[in-house]
Amino acid sequence: MPTILITGANRGIGLESARQFAADGWSVHGCCRKPDAASALTAIDGVSVHALDVTDFASVDRLAQQITDPIDVLLNNAGQSPRPSLEFGRMDYDLWAKLFTVNTQAPFKMIEAFHDHLRRSDRRVVANVSSLMGSIADTSRGIVPYRSTKAALNMVTKALSGDLARDKIVIFSVHPGWVRTDMGGPIATVSPEDSAAGIKKVIENAGADANGQFFNWTGETLPW
Amino acid sequence: MPSVFVTGANRGLGLEFVRQYSADGWQVLAACRAPDEAGALKEIAAASGGKTTLHAIDVADRAGVLDLAASIETPIDILINNAGQMEPWDEGFGAIDYDKWDRILRTNLFGPAWVSHAFAPHVAKSDRRLIAMMTSGLGSLADNRDGARNPAGKLYMYRSSKAGLNMLVSKLAADLKDRGIAVIAMGPGHVQTDMGGPTAQLKPAESIGAVRDVLAARTLEDTGRYFFYTGDEYPW
Repeated sequence: MPTILITGANRGIGLESARQFAADGWSVHGCCRKPDAASALTAIDGVSVHALDVTDFASVDRLAQQITDPIDVLLNNAGQSPRPSLEFGRMDYDLWAKLFTVNTQAPFKMIEAFHDHLRRSDRRVVANVSSLMGSIADTSRGIVPYRSTKAALNMVTKALSGDLARDKIVIFSVHPGWVRTDMGGPIATVSPEDSAAGIKKVIENAGADANGQFFNWTGETLPW
Repeated sequence: MPSVFVTGANRGLGLEFVRQYSADGWQVLAACRAPDEAGALKEIAAASGGKTTLHAIDVADRAGVLDLAASIETPIDILINNAGQMEPWDEGFGAIDYDKWDRILRTNLFGPAWVSHAFAPHVAKSDRRLIAMMTSGLGSLADNRDGARNPAGKLYMYRSSKAGLNMLVSKLAADLKDRGIAVIAMGPGHVQTDMGGPTAQLKPAESIGAVRDVLAARTLEDTGRYFFYTGDEYPW
């Protein structure tokens, strides 16, 4: 039975992913900041719930000590989008720095901390939940701070694909679609169920040729 | 004569920009953290007949950048965001210093964003109206040669900061177009500087000579594009 570790598992795409992998018989480690307030997550059979603030790197290291199982799939899902919008000339640079910690550095830290767990597993997959907003080829929408953290996360994916290939670990970025979550809002076009199902399929299909790629939730590759 | 403002002007590519534009008789505003300690810059300024001036700037100090911008009245034809920072090659996966990553982001990404914000009025009232962000081929996500050139990965902090900078170029170009300002990303190639190392392919004079030609040929139509020193467009 394969094992997946999901960050930001208390709501949105993370919660739905925990549901679907657990329903499929996977062993699921669901991480969120406040398990006491995550009743939907704790209610799922087959999920071990862990308290984790991904921006507290010491707590990431502690969790990596506590979890002894091999981790087949690391789903770096936790992320933030700033509100209100930060337009050029009125940007809050401290908030921008915090966004980098959550959206770019924390996924990197998770990979560093769980590298050995991945190496001991059969599947060895890291999926970074990025965004089409990280694509520099199409910047018609969105704002610099969020977009730059996701472009940087895509670079982490691309650059790490070299180092991790030596351990036969496959790493890729995946765009979840515009999803009806707290982040995406109620008029978004994709349901959390469909998005999580699509991401699950991308993860299950990920072979060596997926390493260093940027996928849509529907499976095709996206432009950087 | 046109004017150019260069950050990180005390060494490497920044110093070479100052040397060449000054030799061509441009008005050069050379900015670096400690101009008093920048011997080579001081020599160029002394020989320029007052056309090259030195200015103290720490691009991560936002209040200081605004003060400097308020103290300068001259239009700026070309703003070159050149100041940048790289981590050593041996700081690889498993040994990331996240505080250093923060500092690199502040210098390589937040700095150019803020300097561009502070000096956009100076650029808007000039004739050429160009902002160039000095990025790197290592900041390209799409560069297929990357795997062969850099098989071990590494330079995560530097590369992620430059990918973020490229994103800034793309978005800033749209924001500043109404003011007639072109914003481009500029890759200087691999150059023999303190950052590039002694075995790099290009000498600073070659790289910057070519980069200046690329900058000179730019118009508002080019805004939001990513150029290599050869004049070719580079993939994001």
